[in-house]
Amino acid sequence: MRRNKLLPYFLVSPYLIHFLVFVAFPVGFSLYLTFNTWNIISPMEFVGFGNFIRVSQDGLFFKAIFNTIKFLVVHIPLQIIVALFLAETLNQKIKFRPFFRGAFFLPVVVSGVVVSMLWQQLYGFDTGILNRLMSSVGLPKVGWLTNPDVAMYSIAIMATWKNVGLYVILFLVGLQTVPPQYYEAADLEGASHWQKFRHITLPMINPTIFMVLILSTIGGFSLFIEPYIMTGGGPLNSTLSAVLYIYKQAFTNYHMGYSATLGFFFAFIILMVVFIQKRFVERGDQ
Amino acid sequence: MISHRMNRTGKMLKLVAGLCFLGLYLVSCGNRSDGDNDELVYWSSNEANEIEFARRLVMEWNAEHHDEKIKFQPIPEGQSSEEIILAAVVGKTTPDIYANMWQGDVEFFAKSGVLIPFDTLDGFMDFIYSRCDSALVDEITSNDGHIYQIPWKINPIMMIYNRKAIEEVGGIPRTYSEYFEASKKYQKDNNGDGYVDQWFGYSDVRPIWHELRFHFYLLYLAASDGAPLVKANKAVFNNEYALEVFEFFSELYAHNYFSRERLSAGQDPFMTGKIATKFTGPWEIAHLNKFKPDDLEYAYAPVPVPDDHQGPVYTYGDPKNIVIFNTCKRPALAWKFLKSMISEENDLLFLKLSNQLPARKDLTSNPKFTEVFAQNSKLAPFAEQANYIRGVDNDEVIKEIFDIIIQEYQASVLYGVKSHEDALSDAERAVNVLFLNR
Repeated sequence: MRRNKLLPYFLVSPYLIHFLVFVAFPVGFSLYLTFNTWNIISPMEFVGFGNFIRVSQDGLFFKAIFNTIKFLVVHIPLQIIVALFLAETLNQKIKFRPFFRGAFFLPVVVSGVVVSMLWQQLYGFDTGILNRLMSSVGLPKVGWLTNPDVAMYSIAIMATWKNVGLYVILFLVGLQTVPPQYYEAADLEGASHWQKFRHITLPMINPTIFMVLILSTIGGFSLFIEPYIMTGGGPLNSTLSAVLYIYKQAFTNYHMGYSATLGFFFAFIILMVVFIQKRFVERGDQ
Repeated sequence: MISHRMNRTGKMLKLVAGLCFLGLYLVSCGNRSDGDNDELVYWSSNEANEIEFARRLVMEWNAEHHDEKIKFQPIPEGQSSEEIILAAVVGKTTPDIYANMWQGDVEFFAKSGVLIPFDTLDGFMDFIYSRCDSALVDEITSNDGHIYQIPWKINPIMMIYNRKAIEEVGGIPRTYSEYFEASKKYQKDNNGDGYVDQWFGYSDVRPIWHELRFHFYLLYLAASDGAPLVKANKAVFNNEYALEVFEFFSELYAHNYFSRERLSAGQDPFMTGKIATKFTGPWEIAHLNKFKPDDLEYAYAPVPVPDDHQGPVYTYGDPKNIVIFNTCKRPALAWKFLKSMISEENDLLFLKLSNQLPARKDLTSNPKFTEVFAQNSKLAPFAEQANYIRGVDNDEVIKEIFDIIIQEYQASVLYGVKSHEDALSDAERAVNVLFLNR
């Protein structure tokens, strides 16, 4: 009888062990770290709220958050619009539909490092293909990655290209759940394609839009590989994302306690943003 | 029936759990079993030639020392050797000996108390003064007065140049003015689109601390005859030499003699002729010999210096050194092995195998070494340069110092958002605050 009671726990133990080792312990340990300074190999030193005070005075961290928001402002709308447009197109009866669906998904499965290196070459100021094309039609060159005012937006475009395939698939799933009789009724009423899209498709796929919004927000906040590979956070810290800054504090300067504090602070910001988004989208849904 | 099945399931689960725990136990004990016998563990870098050197060295040692065996392995693969060492320190699985630690990292590990001071070992001080000059001994001495590293190898950074291109622009530029002049001549818009496609030189423009070693720091050492960046917990780099170097690079970027783009992401710009010079070490020789086009001829020269500079040209030596971790149970044996590892004979073998220079003061006077350089003309300038090199200041926050300077360098030199004087003053202030807060 007792064994029967233990068996369910034993069966869920792989998940529990995983949760304890890879989620609960790191989160608990990080929380503990926020009250200490630690360089990994020396003993920890308790500093109370010292790390939190330091965060409040760290201008570069707030700049990194601002950079990340700049990235999100371009990346999220662009991602949703492009993904929705592609999904709508790929939901029609077009030639080579399976091929295009696969092709748009391809960048999602390619390593972020590889994609970053390829785009770095496309974005080259003097040698990049984009600027060569622009020069050939008489347009001035753009400092895609060398102009501090442009670099983060360039990365946002690249990240959109890389991730859009995933959201195309999500939107395709959403589009295919819309009952066809709604469109048939709209056809009988003489609705245009745009009217059907605006008044049937969009409201019906609102849950998918919310999911894409949340996923791309969280994904966008974790921006790291692209600036790490392409710019190192420059020029003039204009592409220094919050996660890249936290990484530098942890693994270049070995300020583990401080980086844990930054991590918690940043996670709190993401939580707030997602919470506001949820309220906003749900209100729109009503 | 059901109860019988449950019994069987229970036994199966117990068996699986038992096997899992056994597996975990065996994995976790993997390193402990290494330490149980008396073998010392020596990690080399994972560069092919260094592995070959270490393999031969250990094989010979073990053949002659049956009771004092050394176990060799290349450092495990990882994003960087430093990360691996850190992980090993935390996991208490450090080797006894590690040969290939960047000089700038040693103080960090020493301050954390995980290294054995060599000066506590018999005969070390006599040995170190026979191997290195007093300036180098001062450089590697920790702030606590101990020495935690043996200078092992150096890769002096020099200016590689395309011979044909240099002939076209009138010879090797030795000073800043000559470098500007040559840059002006070499700069070219090949396709007539109004934009430059060919620059005289290039240095990485990313604001990453280690890149500073290959532009600002390198030329700062050259201009100042090897002056330090920090001294006695104070920034000392805000001086005329740093200002001259800032002005030099600023001029290069302002006239587009250097590209602001990251050229190294594509094809090697030196091999394709997009640039005629760059600041690099002897490792470039093996790379070029393997991949360069047949018509590319190259050589090395000292890096440029201010026009009024007198005397020899110093440079950054990119030193990699040897340490003993405090997990070593037999430091005396480790020291005995190391003396053999960096003996004249083995330094010579290392030089021949790897084309990297041993960090010893008699490189240009000992006939055994001069003979090698006479046969390898590409390597010879590095031997000459080896007499005038510096590593980095011994400070546990040296990377943060580099990071502060490179941020200001970028703001001032590459983007001109602040004056050079302001940039250097801001960097100086930030470094001093860093010292105050630790």
